[in-house]
Amino acid sequence: MTPDPKPTTRSRRARSRFHTESIDCAPTAPKVVVETMRETEFEKRRGISRIEIREGYVQVHVAGLQEPLMPSRLAILQAIRDAEISLDFLKLTTNGLSFLVTADQSGAVQATLEGQAPELSVRQDRRVVMVHAVNMRDEEGLIARIVAAAIASGAQLEHVGDMHDRMLIVTDGPGATLVSQAIRSRLGVEA
Amino acid sequence: MKFGGTSVSSPEARMLAALRVVSAKEQGFSPVVVVSAIGRRGMPYATDTLVNLLREIDPNVDPEARELDLIVACGEIISTVIFAHTLKTLGYPAAAFRGGQAGIRTDGTYNNARIVGINPISLRRALEEGKIPVVCGFQGVFVSGDGAPGGELTTLGRGGSDTTGAALGAALKAAAVEIFTDVEGVKTADPDFVPSASTLRKVSYDEVAEIAHLGAKVLHPRAAEIAMKFDIPLWVKSTFSDDEGTEIINLEKVPGRRTTGVTHTGKLVYLQFDFLGAPELHRVELETRVYEMMARYSLNLYMMNLSPTGIGFAVPRDQYPTVEDLLDGLVIPLGTDGNRAIYLFQIGTIPSREAETQLQLLASLGEIRTVRLDLTEGCTMVSLIGNEVLQQPGVFHRVLTVLHEAQIPVLQTSDSELSLSCLLPESELNRAVRLIHDTFELADVS
Repeated sequence: MTPDPKPTTRSRRARSRFHTESIDCAPTAPKVVVETMRETEFEKRRGISRIEIREGYVQVHVAGLQEPLMPSRLAILQAIRDAEISLDFLKLTTNGLSFLVTADQSGAVQATLEGQAPELSVRQDRRVVMVHAVNMRDEEGLIARIVAAAIASGAQLEHVGDMHDRMLIVTDGPGATLVSQAIRSRLGVEA
Repeated sequence: MKFGGTSVSSPEARMLAALRVVSAKEQGFSPVVVVSAIGRRGMPYATDTLVNLLREIDPNVDPEARELDLIVACGEIISTVIFAHTLKTLGYPAAAFRGGQAGIRTDGTYNNARIVGINPISLRRALEEGKIPVVCGFQGVFVSGDGAPGGELTTLGRGGSDTTGAALGAALKAAAVEIFTDVEGVKTADPDFVPSASTLRKVSYDEVAEIAHLGAKVLHPRAAEIAMKFDIPLWVKSTFSDDEGTEIINLEKVPGRRTTGVTHTGKLVYLQFDFLGAPELHRVELETRVYEMMARYSLNLYMMNLSPTGIGFAVPRDQYPTVEDLLDGLVIPLGTDGNRAIYLFQIGTIPSREAETQLQLLASLGEIRTVRLDLTEGCTMVSLIGNEVLQQPGVFHRVLTVLHEAQIPVLQTSDSELSLSCLLPESELNRAVRLIHDTFELADVS
């Protein structure tokens, strides 16, 4: 209660209270129960917290571009921009580039690049496996362990990326399940 | 109020920091101060100097993690006592506390402990007595429950002092947590490269965390994470300027697409592995082994790349000697009977003495397949940070065009929801940061 309810009728029940406040109250309020200090989740637990699979992407590969390569790549990217298509996971490949777009943009990408890309392949049903781990760069070796597990799964990986709180792995539908299972078993992540 | 190493590095700096504390007190607040060790690398009581006292005895014998924590914590203890005394000389009663004395309890991971609980009763008492508590950043105590008196001193690892500041703010239900440093807040770029870089007035926790993830030092995300969880206003300010600084807030409070700034990592070495000669099964095994090795030696990987014929990644230049020791001349035999192959890793086109020796030793065993690693030294990574950066059509095109027009070669790219990064020659770093900053008109961002 806020104050002792006997002399103060408007006293209310405190819904939550810091442990230290209880300790402060204890000497003058004998009915305050002070437990031993509980662990408080000040910081998130380290390591992998969850694995999520996002569906609905297609992987676009453009190959066979003419030298010099960068102007050829820029021409492709300009066409994509002019078509107002957002892309993710851009990678520069030996003779072209690859990227990911949402499945609803698949037709637009093909229509845009038809005739412009010497070799164009659009791989349907791509998924992004997201491995969540807070401040993952502080966890020494964690990024490499996740990638090792994903490769060892035998899935055909098309892309790996990272950001502060997750790893992103692009693969096909069956591959996403394999990657997820391999990371869970090799890194001891609870289901 | 947390003061970093540069804010307490000299008597003059400490006096400025102390006057900020006094000013808060005079405004009616009850400040609690957290300080880092005095100064940076090379200074007498800086963390690195203290660690070197052990390493200099015999560089081949690694200090134990527990003893490392004990010696490193001395830096903050010295700083705390000096800062408390400085306040006293200004006529303000103060009391110095070690992390454990301030009630900071951690798990038992030496060198990288996590705060699990805080009982700030001694700080409350000091405040009630009108004193300004000054607490050692970066440290706590692990109580194992096996009856060891006093518990074990632990340090919090990267971002430790910022984390101490935020956690104490949460435990004490502070009006705000202020992280004082030598810059005016979170900038749109490194002002050494871009003098016109502006100070962001508000930035989200996720953006700050991504900046730290990409190698820049502003505020450690651990501190921001705690402040966001307990809904405590968190500010980054300069000890040496009256600029209002940057407030770190939840992403939900600043929704929408925007570009926030340009950041860069330190020096990197980019490695590309060619597994062209290996059958699929062997390639998977070789790639897995390489990454497992990188994990075992705690190597920090950037710009990871997969292709049908190989893999690639960048490592910080100071970690490259370890990579070279591990990989150059590495032999991995795989398969059985007809499917058997011996793979020899070779860095560069000309085999090193190690690789040649291995080749001679293995010659009698049959065919040796060489896995070549192409090395690109002198790289760095420049990143554009922002919320939903890539949902803006044409952002990649814009960045690559401006770099191409300036004849800055881009060796590889990577991206996430919050960033877009380019690997490029270190010699072009300054120019690349300025060009991207100007292209996105970040000097006008606030």
